[in-house]
Amino acid sequence: MGTSSFLWNCTKKFITAGIVTVTVTDHFVTVIPVRGGSMSPTFNPKAGSHMGDVFDDYVLVEKFCLRNYKFSHGDVVVFRSPLNHKETHVKRIAALPGEWFGTHHNNDVIQIPLGHCWVEGDNTASSLDSNSFGPIPLALIRGRVTHVVWPPQRIGAVKSTPPQRLSSF
Amino acid sequence: MLPTLNAAGDVLLTDPLSPRLGNIGHGDLVLLRSPLNPKIRLMKRVEGDNVTYFDALHSKAAQVAVVPKRHVWIQGDNIYASRDSRHFGPVPYGLIEGKVFFRVWPPDSFGLDQ
Repeated sequence: MGTSSFLWNCTKKFITAGIVTVTVTDHFVTVIPVRGGSMSPTFNPKAGSHMGDVFDDYVLVEKFCLRNYKFSHGDVVVFRSPLNHKETHVKRIAALPGEWFGTHHNNDVIQIPLGHCWVEGDNTASSLDSNSFGPIPLALIRGRVTHVVWPPQRIGAVKSTPPQRLSSF
Repeated sequence: MLPTLNAAGDVLLTDPLSPRLGNIGHGDLVLLRSPLNPKIRLMKRVEGDNVTYFDALHSKAAQVAVVPKRHVWIQGDNIYASRDSRHFGPVPYGLIEGKVFFRVWPPDSFGLDQ
């Protein structure tokens, strides 16, 4: 009888912890890996180099911004890919709804439609972003990246200004 | 969505797993975020991959659209009072939040929805 009540207590604790975890990760904050080099050097700065650091960065994603969908220039956001709903991307917001934006790679100027934004990776040479699929609906955004939590040498807040871009002119 | 849903408001159950598993098909009622305003949720019906539609405000002739891959064409059942893909075009699949599968109110319409 003591054993069964002990097991029951453990089961209750596990279930409670599971429910709390799912609620927190769905509505408040979560930690995700960042793969690929499209946001280099902000994330995965060695990706693509021959030294090949094979470990992904882990970042903290907060979801309070989804209550009002208020974003700023330079926010790094996680969004569902408009080309494949099972993939998510991490990019930086470059333009907000209603603004005029000059795309760098074909020198075109467009106005961002209502409810959409323009996202770009920091490493434009290796990034699938709005330069490929155009403005994305804000409703595809699933969270905002605020901190790097792994690896230890780069733990810290994510800056909202993109790193200085080498001129390609 | 008249006459499928009542003007006074129906209560429906939606299934958030179906969009993640890819179980959204032609004719399904779906709950999705508006591409024009992410704070607004819409409930519309999914149409097929090649759509012939009628937009009473802009043209008297039927028009044809081909829906791109990984996108859906959504239309309200009440085509004269609905702002949907006829105005803003196909929407990415990732905007869909749930699929309607059951109606719980009003009681005379209780049951599986479709």
